[in-house]
Parts: sequence; structure tokens; C-alpha cells
Amino acid sequence: MTPNAGLSEPSGAPPPPRSRGVIGLHEANCTSCMLCARECPDWCIYIDSHTETQPATTEGGRDRTRHVLDRFAIDFSLCMYCGICIEACPFDALFWSPEFDYAGPDLLALTHERDQLREWMTTVPPRPDDPADGEAH
Amino acid sequence: MGVTPLTIGSGPGGVGQLVAAEPMRFQVNLGRDFSLWVFNVGLACCAVEFVAASISRADIIRPGKTASTPGAAQAEVMVVSGTVTDKMAVAIKRIYDEMPEPKYVISFGSCSNCGGPYWDSYCVTKGVDQMIPVDVYVPGCPPRPEALLRSLLTLHDAIVSADAARS
Amino acid sequence: MSAVELLAVATDAAGDSTSVDTSFGCLTIDVPPERWVVVATAIRDDPRSDCGFFDWLSAYDDRDAGLAVAVHVWSVGHKHGVILRTQVARTGGWLPSLTTVWRGADWHERETFEMFGIRFEGHPDLRPLLLPDGFEGHPLRKEFVLASRVAKAWPGQKEPGESDADLSSADGPSRARRRRLRPPGVPESGAWGPDQ
Repeated sequence: MTPNAGLSEPSGAPPPPRSRGVIGLHEANCTSCMLCARECPDWCIYIDSHTETQPATTEGGRDRTRHVLDRFAIDFSLCMYCGICIEACPFDALFWSPEFDYAGPDLLALTHERDQLREWMTTVPPRPDDPADGEAH
Repeated sequence: MGVTPLTIGSGPGGVGQLVAAEPMRFQVNLGRDFSLWVFNVGLACCAVEFVAASISRADIIRPGKTASTPGAAQAEVMVVSGTVTDKMAVAIKRIYDEMPEPKYVISFGSCSNCGGPYWDSYCVTKGVDQMIPVDVYVPGCPPRPEALLRSLLTLHDAIVSADAARS
Repeated sequence: MSAVELLAVATDAAGDSTSVDTSFGCLTIDVPPERWVVVATAIRDDPRSDCGFFDWLSAYDDRDAGLAVAVHVWSVGHKHGVILRTQVARTGGWLPSLTTVWRGADWHERETFEMFGIRFEGHPDLRPLLLPDGFEGHPLRKEFVLASRVAKAWPGQKEPGESDADLSSADGPSRARRRRLRPPGVPESGAWGPDQ
């Protein structure tokens, strides 16, 4: 999955960094809270998860439950690229990427699963420096 | 050289199969691919992106292989761009039937892929592939004009390797 | 034109049956259905209102109050607009047609007829405008269920920590005691479908 090369602007410049091309998933941040799946107007985010229990680490402590993500899929044939899922996510697990070259002959292949969404994260541009921040990111 | 069946006119009313050798198949495919005439069925917003693709900034002609056509009867590629309503679906089927073989369909945008944002509407056909066979699905709402160029190249590759889907 | 002036125009034509309000920044006059054409004609002809330009006619589903029909007309000379509004019954609701007052109401009334089921008596050609042939039902009513939303399982129905296997397991959903979230516009499961 190479970053977009050529055939963009006639000068060969890539699309602007905030272009809404595809959505990437940063799995480490995802807690399977289901908010993106619930807010999506097209019902195109499919999430499966299960609960795991972590035994207490201290004497008399409480067992912790953790949600573990099994399946996270976005159906890009349905997606309308509104960005509601990215805005709704409280944990910043979803990111925009300007990649757009993933058309193909198979409609079902447009449903991207976790692996593909993880790969799209490599194409997410770095966050621009915000003058309101105290330091650069 | 193996003998590979070359299918000619495999659509409705076609003449069936013609068995041909590999070089012949490659030659025919190259001929089909040489200059694809593109016809845009512009139904909604995606039509504007198609127009943007055909003007000089991101030019359809730049890859050197495609040209716009005045009507469906002269076209090889039909690009369905926009929402297909139930009422319009009948007309799209008729336009597709008017195209001579070999013909290919690009579904441009979410609405023609599977209904898109109007997936729950009372009057939208959820995907133009419910009426006609589609060769390339381009995701986007709307897809960039460059995505259309890319999808045409994908279609070119599919034609040359004779992988283009048939009904 | 002020609200008082508009009310005076309507009262001259139809007595005390109307009331004037402001909705969405536009002067709105609520008219009983039996005075519909009389008030509309007055608003078109009276020089104080002089609304000769027909903008749109549509309806909205006012739930228990019935179906509300609204018309927006404009005065090119005075540069002000007026909304006329009335209420009709949900079943068998009908209104006299405004095509005799403004010809432009023709297609708008056809669309309102097919979308809401309101008949316009005296309309020259009341037949569906936009919907395909053979369409059953009146789609813009609130009780019209969108079939795709019932047919497709809502991905947000699962709670965090659930998967599709949990939903369909023989023991029943793991959170059966807690009421499941339902997306908007989807009736209770089993309440609407091919088996009903």
C-alpha cells in the first residue's frame, strides 16, 4: 500500500494533508466503546469485542475487566466520509488519511478490516503544529 | 503457448465462445483497451467530480487512453456517478442495454456502489449493481477526480488481462 | 408588514378565525381549513400584503395534531413573505386546492399528495409527481418505516465487550436484562416486517 504517488495534481503534488481519503484505526487507543459505530449515520462500522478479566494485583483488590477488540471493520462502499466517527471517538483512535486509490472490482473488498485499517495509519500525515499549543508535536 | 478460450460477445444476446491462442487474446484485449470511450451518467454530486476529472486540471485524457463520448451508443465505459433512484434505475438499465459490446461499467461514488448515505431511503436503488454488472467500484463521497483516473487505469489493466467482469 | 397588519388582512376576509405568529423568522398565519382559499386570496389580493409570488407548499407530520400544511408566498413589491399554515386530519385529510389562487401550487400539491396522502379538492390533475409507479404508502409520514433500517442489524446494538456471537447465542443476549438501544426510526423487533 504505497503512499499516493503521481496522477494527483498535474505538478505531481499530493492531495492536501487534511483530505478525507480513508480512515485509519490506531488500535492501541481503541477501547471498543462502540461510540463510532453508534454515531455513524450509514451504519458502516462493524465492531466485535469481548471482555477479559484481569485478576487483582493487590491483596483484596478488585478484578479488572477489560474490553478487547476482536473485529473493527469500516465498509468504505457505504461510508460517506463525514468524519462523525473520528469526531465522536473519545480516545482518538481514528484518523483521516488522504489516500484515495483503493477502488477495485469487488464490492466486498471495500470493507476494510483491522489489518487494512492499521496499514492506513502509516499514511496518516503528522499533526500540524498548533500555535495555541505550548510546544510542537 | 496454451490455448485460452477468448470470449466474445458474452453479454445478453452474445455469440458465445471463440477459442483462440494466447497472443490473439492479448492482441484483442490491447485493441479494446486502446481508446476507451467514456460516457458519464451524471445523476448527482459525483457528476461534478467527473466533470472536474475531465477538465484540464486532472485530465481524463492525460493517461492518453480515454475520451468523452456524446452518447451511450458510442461508449465503451459507462460511469454511473450519483444516486440511482428507483425511477431512474429503469433508464440506466435502458442506457446500458443500448451500449454495444464490449462494455464496462464504473460505479463512481458511494451512492452507486450501494446506496451510500441514502442506504435507508424509500426511493433509492441501493447500488447500481442491482440493475447492471459493475466492473470497478470507486469508493468516496464524492471520490476525488484523481480517484476516477486511477479507477480507469484499474479498468485498463483488467481489460488487458481480460479480467473484466461480465454479467 | 407587521403581524398586526397581516392579521387585519385576514380578519377582513375571514373574521376572527385566524391567528398570526412568527415561525422561523417569518410571519405565519394559522388558518382553519374551511377558510383556506378565502384567506389565501385575501393575502394575494390585498394591497397591504400583495403576495402574488408563490414560493412553496408542503406539509409536515405534526404527530397527534394531524398533518400540517404550510404555504410560503412572497410579495415582490413589498419584499415580505407570509407563511400560511393549516392542520388536516391524518386519515382522509383534505384541503381545497390553491391552484385557483396561485397556479404554481399545482406541482407542489401533487408532491404533498403523494408524500402525505392529503387530497386537494379542485386540483386539475392530482396524481403522483416524483415517486415511481406503483409506490405504496406515503413516505414522509412519521409512521412510514424505512425498510432498510429494519432489515440491517444496527452495528451499535452491541454493548462494549459483545460480539455477534453473543447476540445470537442460545442463552440469549448477555445483557438481556438491560433494554437494548434502538436506533431512531426502527420499531420494536417483531412489530413490523414481512410476517406482520
